[in-house]
Amino acid sequence: MVEIQNMNGVQGHNKVLVIGGGLGGIRTALDLAEAEKDVILVDKAYAIGGLMTQLDRTFPTNNCDLCTLSPNLSESGRKQHIELLTMTSVKGVRGDKGNFTVSLETAPRYINLDKCTACGECHKHFPECVRFTPGLDHRAPTCMRYPQAIPQSFSVDLEKCSDINALIKVCPAGAISPDDIGRKFEIQCGSIVLSAGAALFDPSGLDYLGYSVEPDVVTNLEYERIMSASGPTMGQLVRPSNGKQPKKVAWIQCVGSRGLQKGAASYCSSACCMIALKEAIVTKERFQDDIETTIFYMDMRTFGKDYELYLERAKNKHGVRLIRSRPHSILRDDNQDGLRLSYTTDDTSEMKNEDFDMVVLSTGFKIADDVRELSLKMGLTLNPSGFAVTEEFSPVETSRPGIYVCGMMESPKDIPETMAQASAAACMAGKDLKVSLKDPDGDLPPERDVTDEALRIGVFICDCGENIGGVLDVLEIAEYSKSLPNVVVAEPQGHGCSRQSIEQIQKSIVENGLNRVVIGGCSPRTHEAKFQEAIRKAGLNKYLVEIANIRDQATWVHAHLPEKATRKAKDLMRMAVGAVAESHPLKDHSLPINKDVLVVGGGVTGMTTALRLADQGFKVYIAEKTNSLGGMAKNIHTTLSGSEVRPFVDNLIEQTKAHANIQVITRAIIVDHSGMPGMFKTGMQVGPQMFYRTIQHGVTILATGALANRPKQYLLGESEAVGTQLETDTLLADNPETVKSWDNVVMIQCVGSRIPENPNCSRICCQAAIKNALQIRKLNPETRIFVLYRDMRTYGFQEEYYLEARKQGVIFVRYSLDHLPQVQAVGKQVEVTFTDPILGRAITVTADRLCLSTGLIADEDSTEDLARIFKLPRTQDGFFLEDHVKLRPVDLPVPGFYVAGTAHSPKTIRESVTQAQAVASRAQLLLARDAINLGAAVARVDSTKCAACLICVRACPFDVPFINADGYSEIDPAKCHGCGLCASECPAKAIQLMQFEDDRIVAKLEQLFERMVA
Amino acid sequence: MITAERKPLEELIEYVRPFKRILLVGCNECVTVCSAGGRKEVGLLASGLKMALLQSGTTIEIREHTLERQCDPEYIDELLPMIDGVDAVMSMACGCGVQEVARRYKDKPVFPALNTKFMGASERQGVWAERCQGCGNCLLGMTGGICPIARCSKRLMNGPCGGSVTGKCEISKDVDCAWQLIWDRLKALGLEDQYLKIIPAKDWRPAGGGGPRKIIREDLAA
Amino acid sequence: MMENFEPVIVAFCCHYCAYTAADMAGSQRLEYSPNVKIIRVPCSGKVDAIHIIKAFEKGADGVYVAGCLDGDCHFKNGNNRASRRVEYVQKYLDEIGIGSERLEMVKMSAGMGYLFAQIAIDMTEKIRKLGPSPVRPLAMQASQPIAC
Repeated sequence: MVEIQNMNGVQGHNKVLVIGGGLGGIRTALDLAEAEKDVILVDKAYAIGGLMTQLDRTFPTNNCDLCTLSPNLSESGRKQHIELLTMTSVKGVRGDKGNFTVSLETAPRYINLDKCTACGECHKHFPECVRFTPGLDHRAPTCMRYPQAIPQSFSVDLEKCSDINALIKVCPAGAISPDDIGRKFEIQCGSIVLSAGAALFDPSGLDYLGYSVEPDVVTNLEYERIMSASGPTMGQLVRPSNGKQPKKVAWIQCVGSRGLQKGAASYCSSACCMIALKEAIVTKERFQDDIETTIFYMDMRTFGKDYELYLERAKNKHGVRLIRSRPHSILRDDNQDGLRLSYTTDDTSEMKNEDFDMVVLSTGFKIADDVRELSLKMGLTLNPSGFAVTEEFSPVETSRPGIYVCGMMESPKDIPETMAQASAAACMAGKDLKVSLKDPDGDLPPERDVTDEALRIGVFICDCGENIGGVLDVLEIAEYSKSLPNVVVAEPQGHGCSRQSIEQIQKSIVENGLNRVVIGGCSPRTHEAKFQEAIRKAGLNKYLVEIANIRDQATWVHAHLPEKATRKAKDLMRMAVGAVAESHPLKDHSLPINKDVLVVGGGVTGMTTALRLADQGFKVYIAEKTNSLGGMAKNIHTTLSGSEVRPFVDNLIEQTKAHANIQVITRAIIVDHSGMPGMFKTGMQVGPQMFYRTIQHGVTILATGALANRPKQYLLGESEAVGTQLETDTLLADNPETVKSWDNVVMIQCVGSRIPENPNCSRICCQAAIKNALQIRKLNPETRIFVLYRDMRTYGFQEEYYLEARKQGVIFVRYSLDHLPQVQAVGKQVEVTFTDPILGRAITVTADRLCLSTGLIADEDSTEDLARIFKLPRTQDGFFLEDHVKLRPVDLPVPGFYVAGTAHSPKTIRESVTQAQAVASRAQLLLARDAINLGAAVARVDSTKCAACLICVRACPFDVPFINADGYSEIDPAKCHGCGLCASECPAKAIQLMQFEDDRIVAKLEQLFERMVA
Repeated sequence: MITAERKPLEELIEYVRPFKRILLVGCNECVTVCSAGGRKEVGLLASGLKMALLQSGTTIEIREHTLERQCDPEYIDELLPMIDGVDAVMSMACGCGVQEVARRYKDKPVFPALNTKFMGASERQGVWAERCQGCGNCLLGMTGGICPIARCSKRLMNGPCGGSVTGKCEISKDVDCAWQLIWDRLKALGLEDQYLKIIPAKDWRPAGGGGPRKIIREDLAA
Repeated sequence: MMENFEPVIVAFCCHYCAYTAADMAGSQRLEYSPNVKIIRVPCSGKVDAIHIIKAFEKGADGVYVAGCLDGDCHFKNGNNRASRRVEYVQKYLDEIGIGSERLEMVKMSAGMGYLFAQIAIDMTEKIRKLGPSPVRPLAMQASQPIAC
């Protein structure tokens, strides 16, 4: 539950208002909260989570989301810095940066959140008026929004309720409050983050796709729901028309995107290609040869980090069929079972027909009307599609100072980019706010030493309303528990997690001198932290509590066998009492933090991160390998939208050099590294004399950039007429006269990328080609430009420039790996020969300039050294590998390490700045504290038993144990992840995992089989 | 290290069946490292024996104890307080440990729980391979650090036999020909000449052919 | 005795997937056999061979270890190490005479509440058919079933 505090807004201006509780908003709020800043998170829905909660699995890891998202959500629910306001919308914003007044309106939920336990009784008896099941899938009235909703509560649609009094009676918690009238109120805040998310294009209007008449034509989100384990079909893939498993499924890309249909957006929705690939792969994984998957696409836009490998996997490993074509229509004859797709391909002018059982429309993202309205109300400048216009070199800053955006509000994007941008927004929105330190131990009484006390166990049984109490007799369980050894108190406790019950439990601990506590209630997953906190406040070590999950594991699942449920509940209680007797006080491990920061790399990314952190008062060292700041961006002159890069970089360098908190160390080569997060020590050789110095710091940020690729291909380096796009950009800036003289220009895409030796897409080259083509045409509108490409990957708003280039007559010709363009030097010019796929003929152009789109590659030498020194993993192609591709895109797997910019993967300046700001935010989570809490569930070695056999050293998935100088295994609690693998493999039984010690597990087993049935 | 493997449970059951109370003794040295007789295996075996016997209606009491090392009398003395309460001892040490326990507690039957295998090294987690047979006169200086006695199936002293095919021993594709390894290594070291030197017929007396062996360090011996 | 034999089954569930799936089975009210008793562990790889053997020694009729799907382990590969360990213990159970079929490794994601329930039902039925564990302590066999 959320601690409501500071509602009167005394320090209201020192808060951030986050609008939208989707993945982006949650990340922003969590980042700020963990950096000890106060947040108000509002969402108009009655539970937070946004779009992602409806997805089945997400790319590129293809794991299920509930496992990854739900910890985020419950984290969100209990943060003391976050005030969560659901069913609340923003009505207006007054004031300026640092001092906004925002009017909000909360719709009535008709359920008192403090009382509701989400038991589901109301929903069981009045399904029609209780909003827990408005699954997005219109065909599936039984699907839940999602089972781990936060807040864990229902909401009532009063208009649909025929008998309010009956509804009130049915609620065992007395939480239904029909008099709830909602409220209008104002809050104050210093800055605002708008993370309102996107809506999906509605394809109903497109007759030829048949969406509104054919049940087997579904949108990609509906397909997700069908595939989802928590979806309407419980994860069974069936055709909506007849409930049978489809044998052939087709995807149609770009529905509602890239300006092709009625009402469609002009931009590319960025994520749909990957979504379709993911859906096809997951489908193939489940049904293998029993199903055929076909994706009809225009350009396959797998431009993200390692996404090209994903595409290759889809094609080669899973046999997903890819057809470059836009189907003309989807039709069904009356007597026909399947849907008939008509389409043509490049190699023929004939219409092909093929039947499919299901068709998935990859509908694009758009800004919902109410969000557009809200943005305008907030005074933001929007682009014609309704997205917020932001600063060229600070993508989260809107036109109104103090208001920031992230996620889809800025441009269409996938989850990893949303997460990075959300952290960037947290960085920017929080930068002017004071830290509001809430000392978690501030009001705590001293911990009682229970080591020499005889066991005195207190047992508290929740009835959880009808949830437990409706199936079994809570009093009977309490009486039974009282008969167990060492139990001194056992009593029913109503809703154990309610404030009132917690107070009673605390009182009982003190009055009865309890030293162990067992709660008979719900899941420790959701409630352990709450009860730990409760007993800690009563003077007990927080690890002296055990929860028996008699709700989820007994009454909920054996409701029809009350006698057996009772017996099982007794078993679970006995097990918990036995286990808690074996529990010992544990100390959370913590470390003091050195708050200095080491940034490796002094390019745009490194400087941006350094400045953001230095502004927050942290001392930052920038270690730059070369002798000057600026990095790759010094060689770039303009961006796709035409902005000048140089003034931006120069200004950045000037600020960095002038900042009192930043020390720049040039010609610095990192040579050694030791320590742990919060207390690192890094050695480097500095300057021309290679003088050795060490720096002590708390976090390390890698912003080491990438290299411009220069493969020896197409006469690069041999003919004067041939150059990279980067060199062309320089020519455009420095020698416009030369450029003007060009009659014919050819550009070749994917040079050195998307080939077996370097399989990934370099992401930036398509936009670079478009940028240069438009610039060349600006200087000389007569220049003929041919762009030879494989897939044009102008994602997001870049698509609009691609369209502009085509409008201006730039000629785009596709080539394939089987028919590479041929280049021959002819005097100062080159002859480029390529095959036109439509004409099927070879064409030769004599070009004054051949621009090769060579992209970026990892700086193999330096990333290899750094990876070795810092013990960091890299991708196959040498970029640093983040901790979680989706949810933690800038955190490295080693705590205290972060990565940003092109050291992570190729990206534009704008995208690099986003990550730089994101990293600054992520690093503050660590830096805001004086000590890091590492929890207590760590492995501990008994040196007297250890045989130094190395089995733990070899078994640990994280390489933590080592044999120390004394000859026994040592496990650093700061690095231990707490999985317990070492403990279970140790042949000498010398290792125990705290909280899950063998004694505790065996005690559960012993108690389970103890003959103590009353 | 000395490597060992647990005997089949069936055999162990027969050893302990006549007894009511046994003491199961582990060893925290070699057999712990090769996961055959450490504290954990002691626990697993005790439970396994009890359960196996229970099925024929026999209950047995098993006390578990793991010594630092079973081949030293001082450590074995630790068992003294427990020994009177049991009818027999089962040792999870190598053959040395079993014998030492038997020597110390003369009035109790002592049974081995393990088959002692060889002196070996861990190739990787969970895999141990023979490296030495304790021949008493080490040849490794002549054979590029690879022992033809422990690693050649025929203990040949001067090059491979005709059964060496593509570097593998004819007894199994999984066994490297030791002489192939020796040759490769000598060649890599530029010591091909060494290979041509004839190693004289081995005197097997130090290898045990002359009866049980003993080492006496005069300066240390009490 | 066989007719109304109610097996006792211990399910070691990893915190991140199987235990969460069990919670989800709860929140979706999926009924399954009360015979299954869950012991929560951080990772299926934490389940020691001794824990499994002790469960049988104390009187379990069946045991299963439930971890994350392949590739989804929160701790990289704990689930796969658990699978291998379960295979090893299965052989030992054959030696003891309990029978390897009384022990299983299962994998599921956190969202698969239905699979958790289905496995609990299937495992209970399987063990019910096999009858009581041959090493159920005699005293326990004679008395009322201690659970369920």
